[in-house]
Amino acid sequence: MKNEKPSYLRELVETREFELNMGPQHPATHGVYRAILTLDGERIVGLNSVVGYLHRGIEKWAEYRTWQQATPIFDRLDYLSAVINCHGYVGAVEKLLQVEVPKKAEYIRVICDELQRIASHLIWFGTHALDIGAMSVLFYGVREREAVVDLLEAQFGQRLLYNAYPIGGVRLDFPKGWVEACKKFLKTFNSRIDEYEALLTKNRIWKQRTIGIGVISKEDAIAYGLSGPTLRGSGVFFDVRKSIPYSAYPDFDFEIPLGKNGDVYDRYLCRIREMRQSVRIIEQALDGMPEGELKGKVPKIIRPPVGEVYFSVEGAKGQLGFYIVSDGKDKPYRVHIKSPSFINLQGLDLMSKNQLIADMVALIGSIDIVLGEVDR
Amino acid sequence: MNTDFLLHYIAFPLIKIAILLAAVFTVVAYIVLVERRLLGFFQSRLGPNRVGPFGLIQPIADGMKLFLKEDVVPLNANPVLFKLAPVFAFFPPFVGFAVLTFALPLIMPSGKMHSFSVADVDLGILLILSISSLGIFGIILAGYSSGSKYPLFGSLRSASQMLAYEVPLTLSVIAVIMMAGSFRLSDIVAAQQTYKLYFVIPGIIAFVVYLISVVAETNRTPFDLPEGESEIIGFHTEYSGMRFAFFFMAEYANVVLICMLTPALFLGGYDIPFVNDLELYKAHPYLVSTLGFISYAAKSTLFAFFYIWIRATFPRYRYDQLLKVGWLVLLPISLFNLFLVAGIKLFLLK
Repeated sequence: MKNEKPSYLRELVETREFELNMGPQHPATHGVYRAILTLDGERIVGLNSVVGYLHRGIEKWAEYRTWQQATPIFDRLDYLSAVINCHGYVGAVEKLLQVEVPKKAEYIRVICDELQRIASHLIWFGTHALDIGAMSVLFYGVREREAVVDLLEAQFGQRLLYNAYPIGGVRLDFPKGWVEACKKFLKTFNSRIDEYEALLTKNRIWKQRTIGIGVISKEDAIAYGLSGPTLRGSGVFFDVRKSIPYSAYPDFDFEIPLGKNGDVYDRYLCRIREMRQSVRIIEQALDGMPEGELKGKVPKIIRPPVGEVYFSVEGAKGQLGFYIVSDGKDKPYRVHIKSPSFINLQGLDLMSKNQLIADMVALIGSIDIVLGEVDR
Repeated sequence: MNTDFLLHYIAFPLIKIAILLAAVFTVVAYIVLVERRLLGFFQSRLGPNRVGPFGLIQPIADGMKLFLKEDVVPLNANPVLFKLAPVFAFFPPFVGFAVLTFALPLIMPSGKMHSFSVADVDLGILLILSISSLGIFGIILAGYSSGSKYPLFGSLRSASQMLAYEVPLTLSVIAVIMMAGSFRLSDIVAAQQTYKLYFVIPGIIAFVVYLISVVAETNRTPFDLPEGESEIIGFHTEYSGMRFAFFFMAEYANVVLICMLTPALFLGGYDIPFVNDLELYKAHPYLVSTLGFISYAAKSTLFAFFYIWIRATFPRYRYDQLLKVGWLVLLPISLFNLFLVAGIKLFLLK
């Protein structure tokens, strides 16, 4: 759409830009995100993001807990992928303590992380489609997520915030019959993804609503520090699981789906394909599960050496980093979280230029923000 | 003034209007339930099934809830227009039902004919088209008078949307009128009965254009732009309670009206398929009228199911894309179709 109005219109009618407040109670802002849009008709000319409505001071909070007690707090960051958040923090502390995590524990972690990634992507998938008007898709996504959450519940005893891993390993092996149940789910899940794609991927309306919308170039995406599928949709190869390998990921054979144009459609395709890759990883991990200990040697009272550490995992939204400073006491001195949702949200400014309001909801959906992680 | 006049020009029409209104209100209330149950079925969930057996009392419960809600008029709103808008939106679809004919006429023992319609006027289809366009004024007024930006967007969108679908819709209906040679709805059905051919076959292109345009006409997914619940929440954002219920009922009355109009235009209305109605009617008038009514109801239900199915399946168009579809695709197709139909009328339908 062109910026310029036809000259006859400019002479006849005086038009001016106006501001529209979108959120924090808007149904499509995925939580309490507020966008102050400057509009010319329905065209967006400016965007002012307002965040902080869900600020709970998680980073400060962690400083008042012992190292173990701080773990469950980070579940509350991106509450749709609590397992991965936990892995990030626990991994950082382990790196600080230089604890060797047993191979079996790493495999269990990978399996649960990937299940959580699937669950998170399913919620993204449903809400993103709902925002663009495809209502039924949400229920299909939630139906499959239910199966994933059931699996995670059987392992961790919770359904949303799992407090998944202790520092040094995992608490328990999979319960009896879990592996079979998981395999059964994976078998049906691939055909379910085919169903989703049949509904949306080749749907003309879906394509019209997403292709060429919210384009962000390779260079801009890197400059803005985007990560996760939002970055890979622009065709940049960066996935922490491959680029800075951690846990047991080097053991598995999987691909990183990349987009081409960096529009909403490519980001959509990236996430859909990522779910298929997650299935591949879980299948390999279940088949190649080693025997051994569940937990490395970690002292009862943790007092890491003085120093600082940065450890990042590939969260469902992007690179989730933990920068932790220890002063040798039983509590962290400082925990800083590099949260992917917050940084990806910055890209929205660039993406929304010259788009319409109707595209705005597609854009917010396509960067998949969770406000718990944006505000921390 | 004799009793005959009173009976046939005052009493019977009033009774018909009362029956029709009662029936339409019931159907409108229950199509909401049917839609919710069907959506539940499409979306692998149950839908409302708690109030009464199969949720059958749900519409009454919903109505009670809306009725008991506080009636809020925003401070910024223009109070007169704000209160007027739901009325404007509410009445047009109900007027449209007046010109529908539901079955072949009933012959009284006295020899008098009683048509199954309130007013089978000779410009019936035009009346429906023009009156249902009036419903847009309700939406535009609602958005304009709410004193809020989101409803204003909704009403602007509905205005531009109307421009997009109204022309192809009318052109596709004109194709039917050409084939039937009349604007009267009962004549259109009669024409299909005499030709022994439903207009969906010669007018297949018009039928498709019509199907797409009426989705826009009834403001439903994928063209539910004035509502656009996840984008702009809709033109009725500021409405609550009974005033909102008026918009809601108007929307569904529109859906019901369209579902009953479509079979009349394209599927032979109250014609019973695979049977020569007119022959049979001479022998068993009551039977044919009853069966015809059932057949009409069945065809309408088919379309109701179709529209709910569409709603469960598709994402929403953007409004500039709808304009493009309307002007660049549907309009040329339906114009071209007019020539085609004219040819069919000249050489095949005799």
